[in-house]
Formats: sequence, C-alpha cells, structure tokens
Amino acid sequence: MRIQISGLSKTYKGGVHALAGLDLDVPTGMYGLLGSNGAGKTTLMRILAGILKPTSGTVRVGGHDITTPDGRLAVQRTLGYLPQDLGVYPDLTARRFLDYIALLKGLDSRPTRRRRIGELLEVVALTEHADRRLKGFSGGMLRRVGVAQALLADPRLLVVDEPTTGLDPEERIRLRTLLSQLAGDRTVLLSTHIVDDVAQTSRSVAVLAKGRLVFQGKVGELTALAGRRVWNVTTSGPPPASGRIVSALPDGAGTRYRVVAPEPPAPHAQPAEPTLEDGYLALMEELPLKRGQSRESIA
Amino acid sequence: MIAALCYEFRMQVRRPVLWVVYGLTLAALIATFGESYTMLDLGRGGGHDPKAAMVTSATITMTLLPIVYGCMLADRLVRDRRLGVAAILDATPSGRTGRLIGKYLGTCAATATPFAVAYFGRAVVWVIMEGRPAALGWSALMFLLGIVPGLLFLGALSVAGPLLMPPLLFRVLFAGYWVWGNLIPATMMPTLSHTVFAADSDYVPYGLLRLRMPDGMSTTGPWPGASLNLLRPVATPSVALLWIGLMVALAAAVLSLARLHTALTES
Ligand SMILES: Nc1ncnc2c1ncn2[C@@H]1O[C@H](COP(=O)(O)OP(=O)(O)O)[C@@H](O)[C@H]1O
Ligand SMILES: [Mg+2]
Repeated sequence: MRIQISGLSKTYKGGVHALAGLDLDVPTGMYGLLGSNGAGKTTLMRILAGILKPTSGTVRVGGHDITTPDGRLAVQRTLGYLPQDLGVYPDLTARRFLDYIALLKGLDSRPTRRRRIGELLEVVALTEHADRRLKGFSGGMLRRVGVAQALLADPRLLVVDEPTTGLDPEERIRLRTLLSQLAGDRTVLLSTHIVDDVAQTSRSVAVLAKGRLVFQGKVGELTALAGRRVWNVTTSGPPPASGRIVSALPDGAGTRYRVVAPEPPAPHAQPAEPTLEDGYLALMEELPLKRGQSRESIA
Repeated sequence: MIAALCYEFRMQVRRPVLWVVYGLTLAALIATFGESYTMLDLGRGGGHDPKAAMVTSATITMTLLPIVYGCMLADRLVRDRRLGVAAILDATPSGRTGRLIGKYLGTCAATATPFAVAYFGRAVVWVIMEGRPAALGWSALMFLLGIVPGLLFLGALSVAGPLLMPPLLFRVLFAGYWVWGNLIPATMMPTLSHTVFAADSDYVPYGLLRLRMPDGMSTTGPWPGASLNLLRPVATPSVALLWIGLMVALAAAVLSLARLHTALTES
C-alpha cells in the first residue's frame, strides 16, 4: 500500500512547526524513518493513523485522502498503529485487551476474533501469558501486545513509532526481526532515532530533521554520503579537532578515533569503510550548509 | 459503542476499590440514620406502607451514595489519555462519539451497580421483615424513574468534568456541589435543592407515583421564604416528567460539550 504525502505541514497550538512542507512517497515493504528527537516523526505517524489533523497538505494512503472523514475511516480500516507511548488497561488480560481493540476495529464475529487473537498471540510469542493481567508485563512484552493489536485487522499498512526504544538488546532484535517478517506484501513504516534499527531492517529510508525531509532513498545511498569521509585516527595526543567523532576505542598506548569529516582530520588519518550511521551523521553535518544554499536559491 | 459499553462496564465493576468505598459509605449511612434506616420512616410516617417505605429508602440512599458515584466516575474518561490507550483507540475506525456514549453508559452502569445492590438489598430486607412483596415493584419503579435520571446527569458531569480539572479537585467540587445543590434545605441559602434541576428530587414520587405526605412534610413545591422558588413548581405528573426530561437533556448537553472539548483539544 502506497503512501503519498505532499506539502504536509503541522503547526501545533503554541506555534511549533512540527512538520513543514513534507513531500514523501512510501512504497510497499519496510521503510525506515530516521530522525532525532523532535524531528517530527511522531507527528507524521499520528497524522497517518488518523489521530491528528494536518494543518495543510495532502496525505493519500492506498488512494484514500486521509483528511476527509470517509478517507480517514477507509485508511483506519486497513491500518495497524503502534504508538510511541503505548498504553494499555492494566487490569485487563492480554487476551481481553486484544478482544476489546478487535471489537473497535470491527471484528464483530466472536469466533473470528477468538481465532485471530489466538494466531497473533502465537506470532508475538505471548500465548502462555495471554491470560495474565497486563500490569505484570515487561516493556518488551507490552510492545509485543502492541504489535499484536496493530495486526488484528490484518492491515496493509503498519505504522510503528519508535518500537525498540527502551528495550533490552534481545527484545530489540526480536521485535525488529518480527517487523521485518511482517513487511512482506505490507507497507511497514518504522520510525526510530536508532540508526541500527533501520540498517538491520529496511532497504529504503527517509530522514527527517526539524519537520523537513532531508533525505529519501536507498539505505546504501545514505551510507554512501559518508563515502571518503570516514577516517580512523590513532593518537595518544588530543582528539582530532575537526569533524565529528563517531567512536573512540583504546588502542595500545593511544586511542583510535573514528571520525566523519570531509577532509582528513589529521595528517596520518586512514580512510575507513562507511556505515549507515556514518552516512546519517555526514548528512546531519551538512544540513546547515544545504539549508543556507536553498534559501539563497529561493532568494 | 457496544464494545466500549461492555468493556468499560467490565473494567469498572471489577474494581475492588469501588465496592470497598461504597461499603464503607453505606456503613456510614446506616450509622448516621440509625433507627430511620431500620424503620424506613423519616418522621413522615408510612414505614409500613410499601410505596412510602421504598421512597424513604431512596431518600436515605440518595444522601451520601451519589458522592461516591460521582467520585468513582471522575477518572474514567481522562484515564485513556493518562494511560496512553487513547492513541490506539483513536486509530481504530470506531466513531469517537459512539465510543464516548458507550464508555459513559458502561462505566455509569458499573458505578451504579453497588448503588443498586444497596438500594434493592434494603428493599429485599424490608419485604422479608414486613412480608409485603409489592415493595419490590415500587422499589424498581422508584429506582428507574426517580433515581436513574439523576444518576444519568451526575454521571455525565463526573465523566466530563475532569476534562477541565484534575480528578481530585473535581471530586472535592462535586461533593461540595452535592451538598449545596441537593442536600441543604432550600431556605438556607440560594440553592438548586428541591428544584427541577436537582439530581436528587422528589418530583417522581410525589408527582408521578402519587405519594401523599402529611401536610407540611412535602419537600416539593415552593418553600416559604426560599429564593429560586420559581424553579420549585408543585409536584404534578407533568412536572415529574419534565424533571426526567431535564435530567436526560442535561446529561446529553454535558456529553456533547465533552465531545466538542476533545475535538478542539485534539492537536
Ligand atoms: N501536542 C503537542 N503540542 C505542541 N507541540 C508538540 C506536540 N507534540 C509534539 N510537539 C513538538 O513538535 C515537534 C516534533 O515532535 P515529534 O513529532 O514528537 O517528534 P519526534 O517523534 O521525531 O521526536 C517537537 O518540537 C515537539 O516538541
Ligand atoms: Mg516521537
């Protein structure tokens, strides 16, 4: 299911421009949405989920215009949404909670609901905890309940907002593997500020910064932005003064720095193979410059 | 709407604290009224008459239990946002208005359940003591016509009020409103007590159920020396129906405002 966004803006009461003229086309499959905190990811996802009205612009999901009441309902019927701050009713069991959401999603037949919930509890590996109250669930288990509720209506579009934040490494890997498996013929839009989550799951990625789209393309293209810009510098003296330090590892008597910079940050710097994280950092380094240029070209 | 109704009912009716608070308040009620609670006679006679006894039982029950009812409802609507469930609910293709109504009806019914248990329990005890089963019919009529409309209005108020203030503050204000607007005698100060706008009103027993009181004992109609007597017509069947209509209309109005409020504060 394709998402077509054009000229999308959202200004909150109080004047925060969370999204400013966003154009984005999301194809079927797993799609990563990267951005630091406050970039506008959650705002975009809430708009896609039909919870928030945009200030201006159009959003079409599978051909339905989400800004009209009918379009919104049509999209919500085929949408699964895992919100960033997922909450549940603590006194319901996992099975009951899923049953409630299933009813709200229009799964009216009780046998269908029962079967579907049973299947999904298997998918998220919670069958043996299904009849426990949610108040005893760990963060990772709750997130999996969240995934299960998002899948209830067998959605064509899954919108997942920072699903791995706050999870331990095992749960994180488990969850993103699950999401990748779900992608198949669905569109899964995964927002995160953790670059590795995108690197391990998605082929395509968009990067948001301050409510604007600053990159859209293949993961490899984002990585390539750091091509010939990643350096290893080993020194026992002060860290390199120019560029952005990605990592610092003790190495013999000195420290080995990994640096993203357009020019060698030190005379003895060795070029290194870029990763997606390097590409992301290189993009972020360049941003102020790029913005300045585009402002000039408008003027 | 049905889904929200069922689940809100279920979640509220199973809260132990609901039953505990009602139980304690009922104990306080029995202690306060003592002999009157046993005899079902508030000095206006009729403790052995099924109709009068059931109306008296309602009058006694309506003094304190509505405060519990309102207070226990105060967190129900706002907790969706507090818990973070609202985003999931709002992303479903279920209508928000229907969900609000379902939640309201379900949670009010659940919160009124211990109330009903207390009221009908007292009726059963009376029937066993007096051996006159007609009281069961009168208690059902009195509950449906004389109590439920008031609870509908109070329920809407308590579900919606905390949208505008913290639930704790709402509970304090609600208890204050209850004492001022329903319990105190009309002559004490300008008050809604005993008017057609009072949730605890005797218009149904006097107007519709044709209960007769000794002269000067009736609480309906103008109170000599009270202000706002314009709002205290003499009890007739049509005034009783007017009161029921007003309660339902006020509930609907409060809920519409709540819906409007959530729509406006969405972003
Ligand atoms: N309800 C709100 N009211 C006002 N400002 C908000 C609201 N929600 C988010 N913002 C602001 O909008 C910007 C984008 O936030 P958000 O979409 O949550 O970003 P992200 O999910 O990428 O961290 C931030 O500056 C944030 O403070
Ligand atoms: Mg966010």
